[in-house]
Amino acid sequence: MTSDLITLEILINRFQAIVDEMAQALFRTAYTVFIKETQDYGTVLVSPDGEVFAASRRYGVLMMIGHPMAEAIRSMGTDVRPRDVFITNDPFATRGMATHLNDIYLWSPVFHENTLICYVWTFIHMSDVGGRVAGSIAPSNTDITQEGIRVPPRRLYREGILDEDFLKLFLINTRTGEENWGDMKACLAALSTGERRIAQVIKRYGVTAFSESITNSLDYAEQQSRRLISTVPDGTYTYSDYIEGDAVGLGLLRIKLSLKVNAGTFLMDFAGTAPQVRAALNLPSHSQDGHWMMITGLVNWLCTREPTISYNAGLVRPFKIDAPAGSLINPEEGAACGARYSTSHKVCDVIIGALSQAVPNQLPATDSGQAAILLVALPDRATSRTRVSVIQPLVGGSGARPSIDGVDGTMVILNFLKNVPTELLEREMPEILIRKYGLREDSGGAGEYRGGTGAIVEFETNAPFTTVTARNMERYKFPPSGRLGGKPGSTGYSLYKPFGKEPREIGIIDVLEMNAGDVLSFGTQGGGGYGDPLKRPAERVFNDVVDGYLTFETARRDYGVVASLNSGVDEIMTTALREKIREERGPLSFYEFGEARDAYQARWPEELHDAICDTISVLPTVQRQISFSALYEEINARLKDNIAVKPGDVSSIHSEILSRAAESWRIASE
Amino acid sequence: MEKKKTRYRFGADIGGTFTDILLVDDDSGNLVALKNPSNRKMPEQSIVDGLVQLHEKHDVEPSEVSYFSHGTTLGVNTLLERDGVEVGLLTSKGFRDILELRRLRLPQANDLFAPRPNTLCRRRYVLELEERIGHNGEVILPLKKENVIAAARKLAKQGVENIALCFLHSYRFDAHEKQAKDWIKAEFPNMYVIASSDLWPQQREYERCLVSVINAYVGARMRDCFSSLKQKTEDTGLLTQIFSTKSNGGVMGLKGAGERPVETLLSGPASGVTGAFYVGQTIGETKMITLDMGGTSVDISIVDQAMPYSNENTVGEYPISMPAVDVSAIGAGGGSVAWLDPEGMLKVGPRSAGARPGPACYGLGGEEPTVTDAYAYLGILSPDGILGGNMRLDLDLAKQALKSLGDRLKLSAEQTADAILQVATANIYAEALPQIARRGIETSEFSLFCYGAAGPTHSFLLARELDLKNLIVPPMPGLLCALGCLVADLRADFVASLWRGTKEISLQELGNTYARLEKDARTWLDGQGVDVLSTQIVRSADMCFEGQSFELNICFPNDLSINVPNIESWFRKHYKLIYGIDDLDTPIRLLEARTQIIGLTNKPDLKSLRPFGTKTKVGSIKRKIFENGKSYDATIYQRASLQPGDTFSGPAIVEQYDTTVYVPCGFDISIDAFWNIIGVRSA
Repeated sequence: MTSDLITLEILINRFQAIVDEMAQALFRTAYTVFIKETQDYGTVLVSPDGEVFAASRRYGVLMMIGHPMAEAIRSMGTDVRPRDVFITNDPFATRGMATHLNDIYLWSPVFHENTLICYVWTFIHMSDVGGRVAGSIAPSNTDITQEGIRVPPRRLYREGILDEDFLKLFLINTRTGEENWGDMKACLAALSTGERRIAQVIKRYGVTAFSESITNSLDYAEQQSRRLISTVPDGTYTYSDYIEGDAVGLGLLRIKLSLKVNAGTFLMDFAGTAPQVRAALNLPSHSQDGHWMMITGLVNWLCTREPTISYNAGLVRPFKIDAPAGSLINPEEGAACGARYSTSHKVCDVIIGALSQAVPNQLPATDSGQAAILLVALPDRATSRTRVSVIQPLVGGSGARPSIDGVDGTMVILNFLKNVPTELLEREMPEILIRKYGLREDSGGAGEYRGGTGAIVEFETNAPFTTVTARNMERYKFPPSGRLGGKPGSTGYSLYKPFGKEPREIGIIDVLEMNAGDVLSFGTQGGGGYGDPLKRPAERVFNDVVDGYLTFETARRDYGVVASLNSGVDEIMTTALREKIREERGPLSFYEFGEARDAYQARWPEELHDAICDTISVLPTVQRQISFSALYEEINARLKDNIAVKPGDVSSIHSEILSRAAESWRIASE
Repeated sequence: MEKKKTRYRFGADIGGTFTDILLVDDDSGNLVALKNPSNRKMPEQSIVDGLVQLHEKHDVEPSEVSYFSHGTTLGVNTLLERDGVEVGLLTSKGFRDILELRRLRLPQANDLFAPRPNTLCRRRYVLELEERIGHNGEVILPLKKENVIAAARKLAKQGVENIALCFLHSYRFDAHEKQAKDWIKAEFPNMYVIASSDLWPQQREYERCLVSVINAYVGARMRDCFSSLKQKTEDTGLLTQIFSTKSNGGVMGLKGAGERPVETLLSGPASGVTGAFYVGQTIGETKMITLDMGGTSVDISIVDQAMPYSNENTVGEYPISMPAVDVSAIGAGGGSVAWLDPEGMLKVGPRSAGARPGPACYGLGGEEPTVTDAYAYLGILSPDGILGGNMRLDLDLAKQALKSLGDRLKLSAEQTADAILQVATANIYAEALPQIARRGIETSEFSLFCYGAAGPTHSFLLARELDLKNLIVPPMPGLLCALGCLVADLRADFVASLWRGTKEISLQELGNTYARLEKDARTWLDGQGVDVLSTQIVRSADMCFEGQSFELNICFPNDLSINVPNIESWFRKHYKLIYGIDDLDTPIRLLEARTQIIGLTNKPDLKSLRPFGTKTKVGSIKRKIFENGKSYDATIYQRASLQPGDTFSGPAIVEQYDTTVYVPCGFDISIDAFWNIIGVRSA
């Protein structure tokens, strides 16, 4: 057995080399920005059962393990031959392997003497797969047919012969056919690299060792994962958070989690989560255990605990997921899901929030939660063509960690995002002047460890018809929460200053048209703080002030530090002030959600949300969406008029709404 | 007085632990190599000591040295250890946080506790000036003298005497930066002021700003060190000019190095590749994977006809956008520690025992088994010790360390050591292969060129897993960086950002740009005050198709006259070679115009570079070794005894002062005319 373990370690290294080499082959020959600049691609090895047994930790997106491949494999039947290449982008036909149509998956079986050994697998994010808007993704898409061409799993190559008719059909339905084919060829290069390398490894180590190592490497990672999970105290931990950016206007969408930790497994029960919406926020997880877009927080937690941990789907085997059918995180066939990242990030926040009750010193406070890409489009006056460019990703600070401050201006969860040099942007878009791109001072949540500050992006246009769009804007209402006495960070803002007028707050934007001379300014969220701010050494608070991360007012108000530039920290005054604050404040709470959410939850307790979910859960999809928004509107109206609404009332309110609707239908048809 | 003729070449590579010195006598072809401990506090001292030793023991008069070049890790250590001076930064209004925001991306994946990036320049010392120039040179906010002086005064008051300037769009419109610099220098003559447009005028404010700040951050210490090196070597009688190696594999004069210390940051690994490239050229090997394995890392580089360059280099967490020899570092080496994880899997590295406590067999207090302990215990390293016996190896300590691990694996110490080597090889393979793949080369056409203290020991193990043309072990694998110092040419890079469609660039502007770059380049070379054999100018450009976000660096042949149609067709031709796509309709963009100048220096005759050390009767000794599950009788050779034309086969071990070459079963060895060991797979 022990010598097997050494072979296993050697082969795990080989697997890693193969996926990294595949990634390099793909990256080197790829064509588009999404791959070159945003690294939106992946290369993995997949077991015959559909589990990812090797994924790159260095290149491409870092969310490949937990991709459920079994359904895609199953749907291709048993007549699988060497040099077949399969293709799909269909979230529903693959039961959650694909999660939006822009992600195209290509894969091939690997044989050794007529026996299927494993699969080599790649995906790329295509800039455009057709649909209603350029780029295919719009938050306001209401169903998946608006989001582009949908390809259920099928063959692209049969024994090395390309299905040219299909390829033509596919490419012509996209706006960037040539580039898409260029990137697909990069995938094919990666697949054949992987295949060739696997053959060499089999030749060197034998097919038995190879196949056994697939099984053993997955089991080994599972063992490691279970060992780490079993250090978490058993129990049930609950947490909720809200999605704000529903473009269709349903208001706040709750994601509710009850995390049961038991004997080395995590059971994540999302009962009580809002129903699917007629917007692109749905995350088609199919409630698959360990689903890759549901478990980012947990995989990060494992890798942080043990940086040398094996990196394959064995890690996610102990992550059981129960996501209600028809909910935002397990929508039924046909839901729009282009902008599912907002939802995925919020799921990550919720999981970290719940798990931190169990292991508070292993997880950060909540981060800015916003990963919006700010785009500007304007007509070229010479050519009348529209030019489009990214201004900046609008991301905010990381939550503070139990032993270090949060990172300023970006999130550790989304560590691969890159910004755009101002010099480059102004060359590309001469009509745009960036007036400020910097940290947003005083925005990080106070704490023994400070939340990372947000950022400010301010620009001016000198062109009429400048159109600004953003997706995935979040946390304008409820700030990133603080942890263990740490204060929440700041919420985001959008200030629009039309030429010659006063600036005004415009909140989350979907699309905004600007005129020459207008200025738009965004402030992103600061991360939540961690631990009692009064425990932060006064000298560090003072240094933060001198370096401009904080103001003297905040130092005094939140940290109880009295200081001035000339004489530094006033120790006596500080001790006295801290004592006074300590006496006057109540006990510290585990979560500091901030006033807005506290007030909302006072009006809208969890039980009321639960009751709504219970009431509508039995309804078919469309009626559920209708009833969901009608109930929220009705209850909101009653609460506004100071009419108390108890969870027990919801069912009868729903009946009232239904009969009122039937009534108005009868009147209308008379 | 005949003896006073200048005839020596002196190359010194100051490393973290040791300083390697190589002296070549051009007349006799004799060679002296020294290994002195490096001095962290006074890096120049180990070189001065070397000069004294050469004088005392080898009768070398410093005044007889005709070429003197050295490489130092002072810059890179100062940066990595955050040991530089306080730097102030002046930026355009609205852009105080260029350094704080970086390019956002964090280096660590999947790490919730990723450290906060360190900006090198405290935010309190970053001041915005009321100043702004637009992308087209339009002055949006004029620069005011009183603001500049007030800002500089504010910094001076706080004791900040090293200032970097980085204003938006200064890569092309540098008037404000130059003006501000002049004003500050006039008012505060003792301040060190660096303008980003002077150092490296490339578009992209973060990268440009960063190299200027690093330059200021490490510069003060380096100038001190250089001036004391100059003083102390002059005191020993050295007359010739001192050169310093650069990240681009060339050398520059000491004054230039003091002004542009950021260009030395990657000079260590670059020198090794320079040395390897030089050896390769003399024996006609133009395609090589170079592998430098030391105690803590393996440096890999791909030489394909030419020295490989990259403009996307990093030192620690910092991107360095100036051209440097393209070397990838892997965290594995002879000091890598073997351990068991809670599931009982054997892991090797990434932690290294380093120089202290070092491998268990060094007897310096290390208790954990390392790769070096495995070499020693399996019989690969001589039981009499390494470094010509200067470093004894305690096999009992190695055995103890291996046994404590082996007991838990239920393996003997021998089997454990064997397993450590196999796992270490798999680690290096897994790290190296993607680096090789990144260049898209066919390994079977390439030689593996091995150097460093452990490179020749481990390379054949790695070569078993790769399809290679052959292996090359140069005569002095441990001194290759010092050799690189000796053979480096004067080399400097110049850049101008155009960032426009080729159709928008007039013939005149294009011509002027390259003419200006060449003029700057020649001025630089003249300023070095050296007689060079000849001068080469290499013109290139970073180009892409409109709408692409990645570019190719295309070298223009010297006889290509630079005009838009010519460079366009040259680009399309190369693009097609790489991607197989001929995109005739898409407009092209020229991003950076680049020029490199090379002043070729006189080179030593490589035939004189012979291995040295004890000579014994060839093949007279055998030693038992254990590897890959089997026991062998390996023939032991002394490197200095091997003669051109000798051949033998593995299992064999070649011992030499600076390394041990391990040739396992399945490889045939021959010694070529230049004393290189050439290994091929046995037929």
